[in-house]
Amino acid sequence: MDGKKFSLQNILFSKLNVKITLLFFTVGILAPSAAIFYFYLITVSSLSESIPIEQAAMLRTVAITIIILIAVNTTLVGFLISKAISKPIKQLYSATREVEKGNYDVKLDIKNRDEIGKLANAFNKTTAALARIKDERRELDSAKTEFLSITSHELRTPITPMKAQLQMLEKDYFGKLTDKQKESLSIIIRNTDRLDNIIVDFLEISRIEAARLKFNFVEVNLAETVRETVKFMEGFGKEKNIELVVKTDELPTIEADPDRVSQILRNLITNAIKFSQENSKIEVEAKLRENDILFSVRDYGTGITPGDQIRIFEPFYQVEQHSKRKYGGTGLGLAICRGIVESQNGKIWVDSKIGRGSKFFFTIPLEPVRDIKPIKVLFSQKAVVEKKIQEEFQTMLGPLGNIEFNELKNKNALGKEDLFKYIDSLTDQYIITNNHGLDFKNHISKIFGEEKELNHNIDTLYRSEEGLRRD
Amino acid sequence: MKKSILVVDDEPDVRQSVKMILEMNGYRVIEAVDADDCLKKVKEEKPDLILLDIMMPGTPVGEIVKKINDIKIAFMSVVRISDARKQGLLAQENVVDFFQKPFNVSDLIERVRLHIEQ
Repeated sequence: MDGKKFSLQNILFSKLNVKITLLFFTVGILAPSAAIFYFYLITVSSLSESIPIEQAAMLRTVAITIIILIAVNTTLVGFLISKAISKPIKQLYSATREVEKGNYDVKLDIKNRDEIGKLANAFNKTTAALARIKDERRELDSAKTEFLSITSHELRTPITPMKAQLQMLEKDYFGKLTDKQKESLSIIIRNTDRLDNIIVDFLEISRIEAARLKFNFVEVNLAETVRETVKFMEGFGKEKNIELVVKTDELPTIEADPDRVSQILRNLITNAIKFSQENSKIEVEAKLRENDILFSVRDYGTGITPGDQIRIFEPFYQVEQHSKRKYGGTGLGLAICRGIVESQNGKIWVDSKIGRGSKFFFTIPLEPVRDIKPIKVLFSQKAVVEKKIQEEFQTMLGPLGNIEFNELKNKNALGKEDLFKYIDSLTDQYIITNNHGLDFKNHISKIFGEEKELNHNIDTLYRSEEGLRRD
Repeated sequence: MKKSILVVDDEPDVRQSVKMILEMNGYRVIEAVDADDCLKKVKEEKPDLILLDIMMPGTPVGEIVKKINDIKIAFMSVVRISDARKQGLLAQENVVDFFQKPFNVSDLIERVRLHIEQ
């Protein structure tokens, strides 16, 4: 692409040069030719006798020589003049290219006092202004970072002595307590921890939004990280007698942040434990793929409704819990996981069926990302997803698509499962071809942030290797 | 003789709380308010363990840690351990532990005991 542009640029400039030079060349030939022609006409007509042949020949030679000489001179002058015009334009062009790349420190040194010179001046003033804005932006960013780290420190500082004193009270450091007093303290301590967790989570989200997430990339074998994390989480599963099973591929040593991967796994496993019944198991896997590693945490618990599936990665969104749980967490865990994963150009999604359980997937690229980009965490995904589904309906079904979409929306049947059922009904009734239906499903899957592509086999029922078995 | 612990933190309530916990568990406590004060107190009397906050005004903690090689140091901070590691604070041999604030009282006592009893 660049090679094409470069030669185009060349032609453009040689075109300008060529144009002006050709112009002068043409003038340089036409003008003397015309002059000599008329001169000849006038001279011959005013002479009484015709000119002898030798003189006529000599005159012709002189005429042609004059024409050629003038043409050459004029062309040369033309070429030099065109160069003088195109040079500052070329400079302006390269300077603009630099600005395109984000380098605002270019200065044009064009000494013309004509319009081109004025243009160059205006250009210099503009880039100076842009450079200033860039500096201000940088200062603002570093002020933001400082604010975040000071806030983090300030908000969490009072909690330390609070918790310490409360625990000392509870442990009879200051005299024996009654059972009721101990229970009261235990509630306060628990909520102090909860407050601390909310603050920590909220600060994480602020960092994700500002792309201030700190990653610590090191050479690591993530299979080890997975094993260590699962080992650490085993204790948490013991209460409900839940078994944690690990299965990882042979993973290469790559540059990644093991603390972050562990953080995500711990979060997913905590959720899995929460939503699993007693005496069940949780499977943690890591699969090596072409460009990334696919991690998954599978539980055999209650499962997640399609409506919830879209929303669980939203901040503060928590699924309705019908069990006797006293404290349900901050509702920020999955939002933070999503922020961490997407900042690294990974993907996170869930596959779930009510009564069967859930499988959470996330990917970590094999190549670490160098530029952490800000991720918008704090707004509702639902509206965005619905809009995309509506557009897909319109693309796939034409004007009918809108009507169908609204019908499904009114029935609250916009979950992935419901949409797939609907698409199946379309292919069953031959309203669309099987291949169309599969394309439709693939696009819907992508909207729900999933990776797996469905196979284009005519007689294949929906079956994905990483999804849940439906038998 | 009672073992001594130097508690370094710029927050008076944190210092007092940690002091109370340690004293009630049989340790003698010396206090310092920042990194420079810590160095001063270390010169006056060598403690058996230093509990050291990280984010304090004045001289950065990393600088004075370099100057203390012969006393066990345990950090106590809101900073995440992974960030502390990234800042190079955990590299020295005499850095034996890292307490994430807000800490757990029984946890603190257990690990402090471990480090002091060698």
